[in-house]
Amino acid sequence: MVNFNATLIAQVLNFLILVFILAKFAYKPLMKIMDDRKNKIAGDLAAAETAKTDAESIKAEYAAKLAAARQEAQAIIDNARKTAQTAHDKILADTKAEQDQIVKTAKEAIALEKKQALSEIRAHVINLSLVAASKIVEQKLGSEEDKKLAGDIVDAVLKQ
Amino acid sequence: MGTEAAAMAKEAENANEIIHYFAQEWAPGVVIHMQTMYMTWITMAIVFLLFFIASRNPKLVPSGLQNGMEFFIDFLNGLMEETLGMKGRKYMAPFMITLFMFIFIGNELGMLPQIGVHWTSPTNDINTVFALSLMVAFGGYAVGVHQQGIGHFKHFISPKPGFLPIHLLDAITKPLTMALRLFGNILAGEILLIVLYQLTPWVIPELWVMFSLFIGFLQAFIFTMLALSSFAIAFHDEH
Repeated sequence: MVNFNATLIAQVLNFLILVFILAKFAYKPLMKIMDDRKNKIAGDLAAAETAKTDAESIKAEYAAKLAAARQEAQAIIDNARKTAQTAHDKILADTKAEQDQIVKTAKEAIALEKKQALSEIRAHVINLSLVAASKIVEQKLGSEEDKKLAGDIVDAVLKQ
Repeated sequence: MGTEAAAMAKEAENANEIIHYFAQEWAPGVVIHMQTMYMTWITMAIVFLLFFIASRNPKLVPSGLQNGMEFFIDFLNGLMEETLGMKGRKYMAPFMITLFMFIFIGNELGMLPQIGVHWTSPTNDINTVFALSLMVAFGGYAVGVHQQGIGHFKHFISPKPGFLPIHLLDAITKPLTMALRLFGNILAGEILLIVLYQLTPWVIPELWVMFSLFIGFLQAFIFTMLALSSFAIAFHDEH
Protein backbone atom coordinates (compact mmCIF):
# COMPACT_ATOMS: atom_id res chain seq x y z
CA MET A 1 0.00 0.00 0.00
CA VAL A 2 2.91 2.34 0.58
CA ASN A 3 5.11 2.00 -2.48
CA PHE A 4 7.17 4.93 -3.57
CA ASN A 5 7.79 4.78 -7.28
CA ALA A 6 7.73 6.77 -10.49
CA THR A 7 4.11 7.71 -9.82
CA LEU A 8 5.45 10.47 -7.59
CA ILE A 9 7.31 12.12 -10.44
CA ALA A 10 4.37 11.63 -12.78
CA GLN A 11 2.12 13.35 -10.24
CA VAL A 12 4.48 16.31 -9.95
CA LEU A 13 4.36 16.68 -13.72
CA ASN A 14 0.59 16.27 -13.82
CA PHE A 15 0.09 18.91 -11.22
CA LEU A 16 2.48 21.39 -12.81
CA ILE A 17 0.78 20.87 -16.17
CA LEU A 18 -2.59 21.59 -14.56
CA VAL A 19 -1.24 24.75 -12.88
CA PHE A 20 0.23 25.91 -16.18
CA ILE A 21 -2.92 25.27 -18.21
CA LEU A 22 -5.24 26.87 -15.67
CA ALA A 23 -2.98 29.89 -15.19
CA LYS A 24 -2.89 30.39 -18.93
CA PHE A 25 -6.52 29.81 -19.85
CA ALA A 26 -8.75 30.13 -16.82
CA TYR A 27 -7.41 32.24 -13.99
CA LYS A 28 -6.49 35.33 -15.95
CA PRO A 29 -9.96 36.14 -17.29
CA LEU A 30 -11.60 35.26 -13.99
CA MET A 31 -9.16 37.29 -11.92
CA LYS A 32 -9.48 40.15 -14.35
CA ILE A 33 -13.26 40.21 -14.16
CA MET A 34 -13.08 40.02 -10.38
CA ASP A 35 -10.67 42.94 -10.26
CA ASP A 36 -12.82 44.85 -12.74
CA ARG A 37 -15.86 44.27 -10.59
CA LYS A 38 -13.99 45.39 -7.48
CA ASN A 39 -12.86 48.56 -9.23
CA LYS A 40 -16.31 49.18 -10.67
CA ILE A 41 -17.97 48.85 -7.29
CA ALA A 42 -15.39 51.12 -5.69
CA GLY A 43 -15.82 53.60 -8.54
CA ASP A 44 -19.59 53.48 -8.34
CA LEU A 45 -19.52 54.01 -4.61
CA ALA A 46 -17.23 57.00 -5.03
CA ALA A 47 -19.47 58.37 -7.80
CA ALA A 48 -22.53 57.91 -5.61
CA GLU A 49 -20.77 59.76 -2.81
CA THR A 50 -19.90 62.61 -5.16
CA ALA A 51 -23.44 62.71 -6.53
CA LYS A 52 -24.78 62.85 -2.99
CA THR A 53 -22.49 65.73 -2.09
CA ASP A 54 -23.44 67.53 -5.30
CA ALA A 55 -27.14 67.03 -4.64
CA GLU A 56 -26.72 68.37 -1.14
CA SER A 57 -24.90 71.48 -2.32
CA ILE A 58 -27.51 72.03 -5.05
CA LYS A 59 -30.25 71.63 -2.48
CA ALA A 60 -28.62 74.20 -0.22
CA GLU A 61 -28.19 76.52 -3.17
CA TYR A 62 -31.84 76.19 -4.13
CA ALA A 63 -32.94 76.80 -0.60
CA ALA A 64 -30.86 79.98 -0.50
CA LYS A 65 -32.25 81.06 -3.86
CA LEU A 66 -35.78 80.36 -2.71
CA ALA A 67 -35.28 82.43 0.42
CA ALA A 68 -33.82 85.28 -1.65
CA ALA A 69 -36.73 85.11 -4.10
CA ARG A 70 -39.21 85.18 -1.24
CA GLN A 71 -37.48 88.19 0.24
CA GLU A 72 -37.49 89.94 -3.11
CA ALA A 73 -41.17 89.21 -3.62
CA GLN A 74 -41.92 90.60 -0.19
CA ALA A 75 -39.95 93.73 -1.02
CA ILE A 76 -41.85 94.13 -4.29
CA ILE A 77 -45.17 93.75 -2.50
CA ASP A 78 -44.17 96.23 0.18
CA ASN A 79 -43.03 98.69 -2.44
CA ALA A 80 -46.27 98.35 -4.39
CA ARG A 81 -48.27 98.85 -1.25
CA LYS A 82 -46.31 101.99 -0.44
CA THR A 83 -46.75 103.35 -3.96
CA ALA A 84 -50.43 102.62 -3.88
CA GLN A 85 -50.78 104.35 -0.53
CA THR A 86 -48.93 107.41 -1.84
CA ALA A 87 -51.10 107.54 -4.95
CA HIS A 88 -54.18 107.11 -2.86
CA ASP A 89 -53.19 109.99 -0.56
CA LYS A 90 -52.29 112.24 -3.45
CA ILE A 91 -55.57 111.62 -5.26
CA LEU A 92 -57.46 112.33 -2.12
CA ALA A 93 -55.58 115.58 -1.54
CA ASP A 94 -55.99 116.67 -5.18
CA THR A 95 -59.67 115.92 -5.13
CA LYS A 96 -60.09 117.88 -1.95
CA ALA A 97 -58.25 120.89 -3.36
CA GLU A 98 -60.25 120.77 -6.56
CA GLN A 99 -63.44 120.48 -4.63
CA ASP A 100 -62.51 123.46 -2.50
CA GLN A 101 -61.65 125.44 -5.59
CA ILE A 102 -65.03 124.62 -7.21
CA VAL A 103 -66.90 125.56 -4.07
CA LYS A 104 -64.96 128.79 -3.79
CA THR A 105 -65.61 129.73 -7.45
CA ALA A 106 -69.26 128.91 -7.06
CA LYS A 107 -69.52 131.04 -3.95
CA GLU A 108 -67.85 133.95 -5.72
CA ALA A 109 -70.16 133.59 -8.71
CA ILE A 110 -73.16 133.47 -6.41
CA ALA A 111 -71.95 136.58 -4.56
CA LEU A 112 -71.40 138.42 -7.83
CA GLU A 113 -74.82 137.43 -9.12
CA LYS A 114 -76.37 138.51 -5.86
CA LYS A 115 -74.63 141.85 -6.04
CA GLN A 116 -75.73 142.39 -9.62
CA ALA A 117 -79.27 141.41 -8.80
CA LEU A 118 -79.29 143.74 -5.86
CA SER A 119 -78.03 146.68 -7.89
CA GLU A 120 -80.63 146.00 -10.58
CA ILE A 121 -83.36 145.72 -8.01
CA ARG A 122 -82.15 148.99 -6.48
CA ALA A 123 -82.40 150.87 -9.78
CA HIS A 124 -85.92 149.52 -10.40
CA VAL A 125 -87.02 150.28 -6.85
CA ILE A 126 -85.66 153.90 -7.17
CA ASN A 127 -87.63 154.47 -10.36
CA LEU A 128 -90.68 152.75 -8.95
CA SER A 129 -90.60 154.72 -5.72
CA LEU A 130 -90.12 157.97 -7.59
CA VAL A 131 -93.08 157.19 -9.81
CA ALA A 132 -95.10 156.31 -6.79
CA ALA A 133 -94.03 159.40 -4.85
CA SER A 134 -94.78 161.77 -7.77
CA LYS A 135 -98.19 160.26 -8.07
CA ILE A 136 -98.72 160.86 -4.39
CA VAL A 137 -97.55 164.52 -4.44
CA GLU A 138 -98.99 165.15 -7.86
CA GLN A 139 -95.87 166.53 -9.13
CA LYS A 140 -93.10 165.32 -11.13
CA LEU A 141 -90.15 164.28 -9.17
CA GLY A 142 -87.21 163.75 -11.43
CA SER A 143 -84.45 165.95 -10.34
CA GLU A 144 -81.10 164.62 -9.20
CA GLU A 145 -81.88 165.51 -5.67
CA ASP A 146 -85.05 163.49 -5.71
CA LYS A 147 -83.27 160.48 -7.08
CA LYS A 148 -80.61 160.78 -4.41
CA LEU A 149 -83.18 161.02 -1.70
CA ALA A 150 -85.07 158.01 -3.03
CA GLY A 151 -81.80 156.10 -3.31
CA ASP A 152 -81.00 156.80 0.31
CA ILE A 153 -84.40 155.58 1.41
CA VAL A 154 -84.09 152.42 -0.71
CA ASP A 155 -80.63 151.70 0.60
CA ALA A 156 -81.82 152.10 4.15
CA VAL A 157 -84.72 149.68 3.47
CA LEU A 158 -82.57 147.16 1.63
CA LYS A 159 -80.10 147.19 4.45
CA GLN A 160 -82.73 146.10 6.91
CA MET B 1 15.90 -3.90 -9.21
CA GLY B 2 13.14 -2.64 -11.46
CA THR B 3 11.56 -6.01 -11.98
CA GLU B 4 11.97 -6.62 -8.31
CA ALA B 5 9.95 -3.50 -7.49
CA ALA B 6 7.26 -4.51 -9.93
CA ALA B 7 7.14 -7.93 -8.46
CA MET B 8 6.81 -6.45 -5.00
CA ALA B 9 3.97 -4.25 -6.16
CA LYS B 10 2.27 -7.20 -7.79
CA GLU B 11 2.73 -9.20 -4.64
CA ALA B 12 1.17 -6.47 -2.56
CA GLU B 13 -1.79 -6.27 -4.92
CA ASN B 14 -2.37 -9.92 -4.60
CA ALA B 15 -2.10 -9.89 -0.83
CA ASN B 16 -5.84 -9.29 -0.42
CA GLU B 17 -5.48 -5.58 -0.23
CA ILE B 18 -8.66 -3.56 -0.39
CA ILE B 19 -7.27 -0.70 -2.45
CA HIS B 20 -5.74 -1.55 -5.82
CA TYR B 21 -3.37 0.81 -7.59
CA PHE B 22 -2.83 -1.38 -10.70
CA ALA B 23 0.94 -0.91 -10.75
CA GLN B 24 2.48 -1.24 -14.16
CA GLU B 25 6.15 -1.30 -15.08
CA TRP B 26 6.70 0.85 -18.14
CA ALA B 27 10.46 0.55 -18.20
CA PRO B 28 12.92 -1.22 -15.96
CA GLY B 29 12.43 0.39 -12.54
CA VAL B 30 9.72 2.77 -13.74
CA VAL B 31 6.58 1.56 -12.00
CA ILE B 32 3.48 3.67 -12.29
CA HIS B 33 0.17 3.23 -10.48
CA MET B 34 -2.26 3.37 -13.37
CA GLN B 35 -5.36 3.70 -11.23
CA THR B 36 -3.86 6.80 -9.61
CA MET B 37 -2.93 8.13 -13.03
CA TYR B 38 -6.41 7.72 -14.46
CA MET B 39 -8.04 9.32 -11.44
CA THR B 40 -5.53 12.15 -11.51
CA TRP B 41 -6.32 12.85 -15.13
CA ILE B 42 -10.03 12.79 -14.43
CA THR B 43 -9.50 15.18 -11.54
CA MET B 44 -7.40 17.43 -13.74
CA ALA B 45 -10.07 17.34 -16.44
CA ILE B 46 -12.82 18.22 -13.98
CA VAL B 47 -10.84 21.08 -12.41
CA PHE B 48 -9.84 22.34 -15.82
CA LEU B 49 -13.38 22.18 -17.20
CA LEU B 50 -14.86 23.89 -14.17
CA PHE B 51 -12.49 26.81 -14.48
CA PHE B 52 -12.41 26.82 -18.25
CA ILE B 53 -16.19 26.95 -18.65
CA ALA B 54 -16.49 29.49 -15.85
CA SER B 55 -13.88 31.73 -17.43
CA ARG B 56 -15.39 31.71 -20.93
CA ASN B 57 -17.09 35.03 -21.51
CA PRO B 58 -16.91 36.08 -17.85
CA LYS B 59 -19.59 38.56 -16.77
CA LEU B 60 -19.27 41.54 -14.49
CA VAL B 61 -22.39 40.30 -12.77
CA PRO B 62 -21.56 36.62 -12.27
CA SER B 63 -24.03 33.79 -12.31
CA GLY B 64 -24.02 30.01 -12.29
CA LEU B 65 -20.67 28.32 -12.58
CA GLN B 66 -18.74 31.58 -12.76
CA ASN B 67 -20.26 32.53 -9.43
CA GLY B 68 -19.29 29.19 -7.91
CA MET B 69 -15.70 29.27 -9.10
CA GLU B 70 -15.34 32.88 -8.06
CA PHE B 71 -16.44 31.82 -4.61
CA PHE B 72 -13.45 29.46 -4.37
CA ILE B 73 -11.06 32.00 -5.84
CA ASP B 74 -12.32 34.69 -3.52
CA PHE B 75 -12.08 32.38 -0.53
CA LEU B 76 -8.48 31.42 -1.38
CA ASN B 77 -7.54 34.97 -2.30
CA GLY B 78 -8.65 36.05 1.15
CA LEU B 79 -6.47 33.40 2.79
CA MET B 80 -3.52 34.30 0.57
CA GLU B 81 -3.80 38.00 1.27
CA GLU B 82 -3.76 37.29 4.98
CA THR B 83 -0.70 35.05 4.90
CA LEU B 84 1.27 36.14 1.84
CA GLY B 85 0.25 39.76 1.40
CA MET B 86 -0.86 41.42 -1.82
CA LYS B 87 2.36 40.72 -3.68
CA GLY B 88 2.45 37.13 -2.53
CA ARG B 89 -1.13 36.60 -3.58
CA LYS B 90 -0.46 37.77 -7.13
CA TYR B 91 2.58 35.52 -7.29
CA MET B 92 1.12 32.39 -5.75
CA ALA B 93 -2.56 32.53 -6.77
CA PRO B 94 -2.42 30.06 -9.72
CA PHE B 95 -0.48 27.49 -7.71
CA MET B 96 -2.55 27.76 -4.55
CA ILE B 97 -5.94 27.75 -6.28
CA THR B 98 -4.95 24.75 -8.36
CA LEU B 99 -3.59 22.99 -5.28
CA PHE B 100 -6.80 23.46 -3.35
CA MET B 101 -9.10 22.54 -6.21
CA PHE B 102 -7.03 19.52 -7.21
CA ILE B 103 -7.03 18.09 -3.70
CA PHE B 104 -10.67 19.01 -3.12
CA ILE B 105 -11.98 17.44 -6.33
CA GLY B 106 -9.55 14.52 -5.97
CA ASN B 107 -10.77 13.80 -2.45
CA GLU B 108 -14.41 13.78 -3.52
CA LEU B 109 -13.74 11.56 -6.52
CA GLY B 110 -13.28 8.46 -4.36
CA MET B 111 -16.70 9.02 -2.82
CA LEU B 112 -18.54 8.66 -6.11
CA PRO B 113 -20.77 5.61 -6.46
CA GLN B 114 -18.84 2.68 -7.90
CA ILE B 115 -20.94 2.33 -11.03
CA GLY B 116 -19.16 1.44 -14.24
CA VAL B 117 -15.93 3.08 -13.12
CA HIS B 118 -13.84 2.12 -10.15
CA TRP B 119 -13.61 5.55 -8.55
CA THR B 120 -10.78 6.26 -6.17
CA SER B 121 -9.16 9.43 -4.99
CA PRO B 122 -5.79 10.22 -6.52
CA THR B 123 -4.90 11.43 -3.04
CA ASN B 124 -5.21 7.91 -1.64
CA ASP B 125 -1.80 7.20 -3.18
CA ILE B 126 1.24 8.01 -1.09
CA ASN B 127 3.03 9.11 -4.26
CA THR B 128 0.46 11.80 -4.99
CA VAL B 129 0.43 13.30 -1.53
CA PHE B 130 4.24 13.32 -1.34
CA ALA B 131 4.43 14.80 -4.81
CA LEU B 132 2.25 17.65 -3.57
CA SER B 133 3.89 18.17 -0.20
CA LEU B 134 7.43 18.02 -1.63
CA MET B 135 6.41 20.47 -4.34
CA VAL B 136 5.15 22.80 -1.66
CA ALA B 137 8.30 22.38 0.44
CA PHE B 138 10.79 22.87 -2.38
CA GLY B 139 8.55 25.39 -4.04
CA GLY B 140 8.73 27.39 -0.81
CA TYR B 141 12.54 27.45 -1.00
CA ALA B 142 12.50 28.26 -4.70
CA VAL B 143 10.08 31.13 -4.29
CA GLY B 144 11.99 32.34 -1.21
CA VAL B 145 15.27 32.45 -3.11
CA HIS B 146 13.53 34.10 -6.05
CA GLN B 147 12.02 36.75 -3.81
CA GLN B 148 14.78 37.35 -1.26
CA GLY B 149 17.92 35.84 -2.77
CA ILE B 150 20.04 33.35 -0.92
CA GLY B 151 19.40 35.32 2.26
CA HIS B 152 16.08 33.53 2.37
CA PHE B 153 17.76 30.66 4.18
CA LYS B 154 18.69 32.97 7.01
CA HIS B 155 15.35 32.15 8.56
CA PHE B 156 16.87 28.78 9.49
CA ILE B 157 19.07 30.52 12.05
CA SER B 158 16.59 33.05 13.35
CA PRO B 159 16.33 34.34 15.94
CA LYS B 160 19.59 32.61 17.01
CA PRO B 161 21.89 30.08 15.26
CA GLY B 162 21.03 27.66 18.03
CA PHE B 163 17.58 27.27 16.54
CA LEU B 164 18.98 25.59 13.42
CA PRO B 165 18.18 22.01 14.53
CA ILE B 166 14.61 22.95 15.31
CA HIS B 167 14.20 24.64 11.94
CA LEU B 168 15.71 21.63 10.18
CA LEU B 169 13.39 19.30 12.02
CA ASP B 170 10.48 21.51 11.07
CA ALA B 171 11.55 21.58 7.42
CA ILE B 172 11.55 17.77 7.33
CA THR B 173 8.47 17.04 9.41
CA LYS B 174 6.25 19.62 7.75
CA PRO B 175 6.03 17.99 4.30
CA LEU B 176 5.97 14.60 5.98
CA THR B 177 3.00 15.40 8.19
CA MET B 178 1.16 17.27 5.43
CA ALA B 179 1.44 14.31 3.10
CA LEU B 180 0.62 11.67 5.69
CA ARG B 181 -2.36 13.55 7.09
CA LEU B 182 -3.98 13.85 3.69
CA PHE B 183 -3.03 10.32 2.65
CA GLY B 184 -4.27 8.79 5.90
CA ASN B 185 -7.58 10.61 5.93
CA ILE B 186 -8.48 9.81 2.36
CA LEU B 187 -7.24 6.26 2.26
CA ALA B 188 -8.87 5.44 5.58
CA GLY B 189 -12.10 7.01 4.37
CA GLU B 190 -12.17 4.80 1.27
CA ILE B 191 -11.24 1.65 3.13
CA LEU B 192 -13.86 2.31 5.77
CA LEU B 193 -16.47 2.92 3.09
CA ILE B 194 -15.72 -0.45 1.48
CA VAL B 195 -15.83 -2.16 4.87
CA LEU B 196 -19.11 -0.45 5.75
CA TYR B 197 -20.66 -1.58 2.48
CA GLN B 198 -19.76 -5.14 3.38
CA LEU B 199 -21.18 -4.79 6.88
CA THR B 200 -24.40 -2.84 6.21
CA PRO B 201 -25.33 -2.16 2.60
CA TRP B 202 -27.79 0.60 3.48
CA VAL B 203 -27.84 3.98 5.20
CA ILE B 204 -24.60 3.74 7.19
CA PRO B 205 -22.27 3.90 4.16
CA GLU B 206 -24.27 6.86 2.80
CA LEU B 207 -23.84 8.71 6.06
CA TRP B 208 -20.14 8.00 5.90
CA VAL B 209 -20.03 9.27 2.30
CA MET B 210 -21.61 12.52 3.44
CA PHE B 211 -19.10 12.87 6.21
CA SER B 212 -16.26 11.95 3.87
CA LEU B 213 -17.30 14.61 1.39
CA PHE B 214 -16.95 17.09 4.22
CA ILE B 215 -13.59 15.59 5.21
CA GLY B 216 -12.51 15.92 1.59
CA PHE B 217 -13.10 19.64 1.73
CA LEU B 218 -11.57 19.95 5.18
CA GLN B 219 -8.38 18.11 4.23
CA ALA B 220 -8.00 20.19 1.07
CA PHE B 221 -8.39 23.30 3.21
CA ILE B 222 -5.89 22.09 5.82
CA PHE B 223 -3.34 21.14 3.20
CA THR B 224 -3.75 24.52 1.52
CA MET B 225 -3.42 26.41 4.79
CA LEU B 226 -0.21 24.53 5.67
CA ALA B 227 1.12 25.13 2.18
CA LEU B 228 0.38 28.82 2.63
CA SER B 229 2.33 28.87 5.87
CA SER B 230 5.26 27.29 4.01
CA PHE B 231 5.16 30.05 1.42
CA ALA B 232 4.47 32.82 3.88
CA ILE B 233 8.10 33.05 4.97
CA ALA B 234 9.17 33.63 1.36
CA PHE B 235 7.10 36.81 1.28
CA HIS B 236 7.95 37.85 4.79
CA ASP B 237 9.89 41.07 4.36
CA GLU B 238 12.82 41.30 6.72
CA HIS B 239 14.25 44.78 7.04
